[in-house]
Amino acid sequence: MSDWITFALPKGRIMEDSMELFGQIGITCPEMAKPSRKLVFENREEKFRFMAVRATDVPTYVEYGCADLGVVGRDTLLEQGKDLYEPLDLKFGYCRLVVAEPKELCQGDDPASWSNIRVATKYPNITERYFAAKGIQVELIKLYGSIELAPLVGLSERIVDLVSTGGTMKANNLVEVETIAEVTSRLIVNRASLKTKHRRISRIIHDLEQVVGDEVRIST
Amino acid sequence: MKPNMTTPEALLPKGVKDFLPRKAAKIDYLTDTLKTLFHQWGFRPVVPPLLENLDVLEAGLGSGLQSQTFRFDDRQGGRLVAVTPDITPQVARIVATRMQDLPLPLRLCYTGRVLRHTEQQAGKDRELFQAGVELFGLDSPEVDAEMIVMAIEGLRRVGAEEFTIDLGQVEFVRAILHDLPLADSVIDDLREALMRKDSSSLKATLARTDLEPQRRDELLALPRLFGGIEILEKAEEIVVTPRAREALDNLRQVIGHLDKDLVENYITFDLGEIRGLDYHTGVTFQGYLPGIGRAVCSGGRYDNLTDRYGRSLPATGFSFNLLNLLFALDQSLDRRAEQMTDVLLYQEGENKVPAQRLARALRENGFSAARDMLKRPMEESLAYARQMNYRYLMAITDEQQPVRLLTVKDGSEQTVDFTDLENGHFDLSG
Repeated sequence: MSDWITFALPKGRIMEDSMELFGQIGITCPEMAKPSRKLVFENREEKFRFMAVRATDVPTYVEYGCADLGVVGRDTLLEQGKDLYEPLDLKFGYCRLVVAEPKELCQGDDPASWSNIRVATKYPNITERYFAAKGIQVELIKLYGSIELAPLVGLSERIVDLVSTGGTMKANNLVEVETIAEVTSRLIVNRASLKTKHRRISRIIHDLEQVVGDEVRIST
Repeated sequence: MKPNMTTPEALLPKGVKDFLPRKAAKIDYLTDTLKTLFHQWGFRPVVPPLLENLDVLEAGLGSGLQSQTFRFDDRQGGRLVAVTPDITPQVARIVATRMQDLPLPLRLCYTGRVLRHTEQQAGKDRELFQAGVELFGLDSPEVDAEMIVMAIEGLRRVGAEEFTIDLGQVEFVRAILHDLPLADSVIDDLREALMRKDSSSLKATLARTDLEPQRRDELLALPRLFGGIEILEKAEEIVVTPRAREALDNLRQVIGHLDKDLVENYITFDLGEIRGLDYHTGVTFQGYLPGIGRAVCSGGRYDNLTDRYGRSLPATGFSFNLLNLLFALDQSLDRRAEQMTDVLLYQEGENKVPAQRLARALRENGFSAARDMLKRPMEESLAYARQMNYRYLMAITDEQQPVRLLTVKDGSEQTVDFTDLENGHFDLSG
């Protein structure tokens, strides 16, 4: 049991990108190729296990040691602030975390004069920290999806959200005013696993470092 | 508003727990086993108070622990008082202020609870159970090695089979980060990246500086300087800062005092770790068990802490985190810490004197015994004994009749003479 390496990966595109990258360093999981509704996949010969979980749950699985390694967007890590190692930027899943507002508001708006603004977001911690550092008081409205809707119906004046191509923003008549952070997918490691399984994990980090290029990629 | 009595959870503040007999017996077992170990190594107990004056306590705490301290207003003194988040500074205070006349070295141990504020998240413990040792007045690498050996022995005693002791030397990173010709904000970014072993951010931050290549390479190497003993050679090749090389030498000397097999099988190194308590000054270590992401023991050298209380003494020590041990070893402790009561005494009728006499005789002979004081059929008493971890049920009629002795596990029965029992002529070892 303890010589296995377990990965927590977010279901969907990031999982595919991750497996493609892992494939380049010889970590594969033939079981995953077959269509199924399973959430745990194993490569018994090589002693690798892969768990498909929600992106926002990846840090939790890794923090508690249910998974040794995980792949997750930097936005989730910044928001949750967990005690984990993040040895490597995997350079895919690129997007930006931005402050956006309706086009009409933007004209003649000066971010330097903001105070007491209302912001809707999926990222209350990052948003609060960001505006607090600028000395701006914010009323935070936590939403779980379709953030772009909030300014259209008057729930908030501004939003903090992820953009990759900017298509959704444009379609909803929103413009970006400030960038809070650039986001890519990160390799994360449980603190105890890094020590107790250092041979296998060092190898994985080292090998990944060789195949990850300098170019960041948008995952679509 | 009346407190919500409907769910037990609503009765307790977050991050603290009630431990029922099964778990509590395991905590007792861990505490007793470690106390015995400490005693066998010549450590003598101290019991510091739960409350301290905040200003006095804070002198010994780093900023990390200061922000985790529970503090209160003391109505009797008008000062702020605190529940300690760490026992080591208390022991340092005691040694510096109350034990000046005793010869060195001083070997002291303690068990106790501390409180620490944690980030708001369900389920994180705020009350920690600690058992630890502190050794004052010795500064050689041999002593650091002995602390590590003792931690390993402790882990083995409580039943851990697989474990890792991760060694660091806090002066190593400190020396590399010291005197960097960089702005504070950049150094903060570097520390943040080092904390997460985030090579990518470290590279990006360093790219914005014009640091000389040698120092840049040192910094860039830090996140990868973890692993087996081979890491020390790798560090040797890269690191040029004199004080960092001294720290490396010191670490080598400590390992030199450890058994080779021990180092090969149980010891790992992490030279890039910047976590830890601010009072540490040399070799530090943390113990990990498989399946749990938190350390089960941690400690290290702290040569400046007693100085904050007015007496300069070299010191080293470590403590076990009992709840983390409990979590990691829960199943294997089922057997080790199982607490059985030897005998449940059952007697019908109004005259209970024979049962009282037998109970006393059993206890005098070193057995544990309780009386069933409910009026009920013997079958129910036997069922109760089974559920509550008794080994035997004794059914007594009076002094003249033989006593029925039932083995609770399988219900098998024998009879024993009352007088034999009272005189200690019996065998319950089976």
